Amino acid sequence: MASATTRPAPITPGRPRRRRLWRDTLIGWSFILPNFLGFALFTLVPVIAAFGLAFMDWDSYGTPEWAGLDNFQRLWGDENFHVALRNTLYYAAGHIPLTLLASLGLAMALNRRLRAVNFFRTAAFFPYITSLVAVAIVWNMLFNPTAGPVNLLLEAIGVQDPPRWVSSTDWAMPAVIITSVWRDMGYYMVLYLAGLQTIPKEYYEAAKVDGAGPWQRFWGITLPSLRPTTFFVLVMLTIQSFKVLDLIVVMTGGGPGRSTLVLAQLVYREGITEGQFGYSSAIALVLFLIVFTVTIVQFRINERRNAT
Amino acid sequence: MTALHDPPADTRRPPRHAAPTDPAGSRHPRARRTLTYAGLTAMTSLTLMPLAWMLSASLKRDAEVLAIPIQWIPDELRWSNFVEIWQRIPLATYLGNSLFLSLTITFLQVLTGSFAAYGFAKVRFPGRDALFLGYLATIAVPWQAYMVPQYIMMQRAELTDTHWSIILLQAFGAFGVFLMRQYYMSIPDELCEAAKIDGLSDYGIYRRIMLPLSKPALASLALLTFVNTWNDYMGPFIYLTSNELWTVQLGLRSFIGQYEAEYAMIMTGAVLSVLPILVLFLFGQRYFIQGIATSGLKG
Amino acid sequence: MSTAITPLRKHTKILGAALLALAVTACGGGAGETSGGGGSTTLTVTVWNLAKTPEFTALFQAFEKANPGVKVKPVDILADDYPEKVTTMLAGGDKTDVITMKNVIDYSRYSSRGQLLDLTDLATATDAGKLAGLDAFKVGGGAYYALPYRQDFWLLYYNKTLLDAAGIKLTDTLTWDDYATYAQRLTSGTGNDKVYGTYHHTWRSVVQAISAAQTGGDQLGGDYTFFTDQYTMASGLQKNGATLDFGTASAQQADYRNMFGTGKTAMMPMGTWYISGILEAKKKGESQVDWALAPMPQRAGSTQTVTFGSPTAFAVNKRSRSADLAKKFVQFAAGKTGAEAITQVGVVPALQDPAITEAYFKLPGMPTDELSKKAFTPGEVVLEMPVSEKASDIDTILNEEHQLIMVGDKSVPDGIRSMNERVKNEVLN
Repeated sequence: MASATTRPAPITPGRPRRRRLWRDTLIGWSFILPNFLGFALFTLVPVIAAFGLAFMDWDSYGTPEWAGLDNFQRLWGDENFHVALRNTLYYAAGHIPLTLLASLGLAMALNRRLRAVNFFRTAAFFPYITSLVAVAIVWNMLFNPTAGPVNLLLEAIGVQDPPRWVSSTDWAMPAVIITSVWRDMGYYMVLYLAGLQTIPKEYYEAAKVDGAGPWQRFWGITLPSLRPTTFFVLVMLTIQSFKVLDLIVVMTGGGPGRSTLVLAQLVYREGITEGQFGYSSAIALVLFLIVFTVTIVQFRINERRNAT
Repeated sequence: MTALHDPPADTRRPPRHAAPTDPAGSRHPRARRTLTYAGLTAMTSLTLMPLAWMLSASLKRDAEVLAIPIQWIPDELRWSNFVEIWQRIPLATYLGNSLFLSLTITFLQVLTGSFAAYGFAKVRFPGRDALFLGYLATIAVPWQAYMVPQYIMMQRAELTDTHWSIILLQAFGAFGVFLMRQYYMSIPDELCEAAKIDGLSDYGIYRRIMLPLSKPALASLALLTFVNTWNDYMGPFIYLTSNELWTVQLGLRSFIGQYEAEYAMIMTGAVLSVLPILVLFLFGQRYFIQGIATSGLKG
Repeated sequence: MSTAITPLRKHTKILGAALLALAVTACGGGAGETSGGGGSTTLTVTVWNLAKTPEFTALFQAFEKANPGVKVKPVDILADDYPEKVTTMLAGGDKTDVITMKNVIDYSRYSSRGQLLDLTDLATATDAGKLAGLDAFKVGGGAYYALPYRQDFWLLYYNKTLLDAAGIKLTDTLTWDDYATYAQRLTSGTGNDKVYGTYHHTWRSVVQAISAAQTGGDQLGGDYTFFTDQYTMASGLQKNGATLDFGTASAQQADYRNMFGTGKTAMMPMGTWYISGILEAKKKGESQVDWALAPMPQRAGSTQTVTFGSPTAFAVNKRSRSADLAKKFVQFAAGKTGAEAITQVGVVPALQDPAITEAYFKLPGMPTDELSKKAFTPGEVVLEMPVSEKASDIDTILNEEHQLIMVGDKSVPDGIRSMNERVKNEVLN
């Protein structure tokens, strides 16, 4: 991208102004360069290469051949892709709102002056820093259909015939979603906590004077004031949900059957396992476009709301 | 994308300004407080239950782990599990490798990330925003999509199966730049302008003003990077082949694969793999929560 | 912001194209970089679960002893992740000398991509004819890219104490119906003390490969009605609680070694590789089970013992820097000294030699009864999965549908119907 530095932006040139622009460009780049070198070499170039591969036929050995849109055509007719897309949407539809609600709820509960509140906050955050490998083992055992604590608890409170969780096609995805909500809620809770603390106290006092109850205060003040936070949380959650892989791999491996097969896993399977790097890059490109579109839409909605 | 650098004005207030919103129903303060504590305790124990189960299982015999009914505190606490595991796998090597990688990557990421973030937040030059967009966009690309080109590059450079590969891959992540930039955006430009009038160069501003001001954000970036590197499985799995280079996560996963039914020992390994992170977190917790809170918010 | 983007976009495009071209040519090049034996004396070999697979260490030590100055360095990989890891390594141009072929599906993939060195000269040498399973490695044009060193096949492990207590005596004409009846009778206890009549591990081969072998069905054919009997039997046993149900087994990642080794099951169909495992477990005192072997149960009316199996082989990486030494190792492992070394730890070598079989049954801890010995010489060993370029795609589908039938999500006929449809639609057309 060095070319960008040699070409000043097309502003009518007053000489000192031009020199200043030059200087700023140099300074700016000098700050960015150390990180950018590593980033460009180890992330940007591979990403561009991968997207180029989406239009090629390459089995990891020999020379890639131009394939045009063949990979995308194949994608359209591939049932695995449709299953994985559905599952990914299912996961996102569960993970995004539930994590949002859980983290908001936690933040509301923990946003008060209390002794030991820091302990409670830390505890809520703890799942997020626990290793995924460990998390997956623990939850798989908790979800064990016959001897697992989750089902023992359900039976104890009178649920007849509790779900078989990871060993049933209907309940495997809910099990994964529950685990992921448990893991992520602490992180987003922290963001919400910060958001809550920026709301001026006077708003609530004024509302109380007007006779608003707790619910009205929540809907009327808290929620609207938290919009920037909610927006950020939503964007991060969306990106994260669509990219989900590690948790699925260690928890269910995509099974039983294809009931938890997600797009990122299909990318991995077609690419690494089957060695069809062109096709797998095509899936990745589609996945990227989906995430990108959703994110752009979220930005647009947010902008429009800000405008009104 | 305007929202990225135009956060609504009211979110810029420092957190101290606002008081916690206690919906003060002050008619029965004591009863209310007890109720609150009870609720919070219940919620927290639910959250911590899986981790408690992990700890409890690590102190049992294999056969007791899945026994019904669950015994949360086993009759006989088998601390010997924690001794035995060191003999079963070279855990010290794994821990050492993980520690080395996490520290190096964290250091590089924090250094280059905050440096670049200053360029993105406080220096104006053509192409800056487009470049930043490029950084952002890569966050949305699933890693396994470009894993193979990346691997091939590393292989050409003969860096696979060395710690270098992991360091180079993870030290220059876009996330750190993003996080730090968001934080720097919240520091008023007037502060920099004033410093410039006083004769400070941009590098001086970065070192004398930005770095000290951004301590919480630096701390949170450091912690997040450390935790992510420590917990990463796929990266080391693909790049590190020689067993003496393995990290804790690889060691743990391999242990599970080889000794599938030794539940207690697996849980012992899991506890030990979490312990360093827990200690680190308890120490850095105060900065950490403050740090993410202030920088993450400015989305 | 948009003013800044417009001029940049053009550059990005050109630059992007340039980078892509660079990356792609970099990927394409270097295919033929085989540098011949550079006099290196360290040989690297990919292995899995080194600690639990004693044959590797036995072979390496024997090879080092036979070739003073040579050091073998194992590259240990987790068994579950072995195919993915090796695929990534080879795709990236890794230079590990010897690559162990865990199964023939992966072999066909690597050999068709030209990632392995041609070993036809070794395979057509005089004594290679005695290698069981060698045919599986013959690919188009009669070339071989790997040489088997061990040949595993399936038989029935049983717990003598439990069978004696129930008054059951197995014979070499056991049918699947007998087997199912015995499994019911041998089931006892509840909760933590439950003992199952038999244990079917979660692999699809437990049901599918055996029925393909015994009915002559083709697993690549796209019509899987021949699985019906076997699935009916397997899901029936599961329904009656005579075997640990599939869902539980996969959720808690049940270990077959543990199931049999701790006496939680009375019988267990499994591959011969477990012999070395149980010998070692008993030696270490981890298992007290008094065990023996029987031939796999057969379909009613069968005249000979038919089972399935799969060879394990060594291949030489095309990019190995010490290809000559690597070839020497492959030949050594398949040869007599190699076979003797792995026999010592209870592994069945590919080399067919009466002396070696005899030595095998002299190992301390091996059962010595006639039936066990008979189990060791099955009439026919059918390859677990035929070698084909389509094998891995079909394998994935059959495995997914296997899970669905076994967790009870689909009935046997429904599951088989969707196997037929999916294989035909997604792979064969």
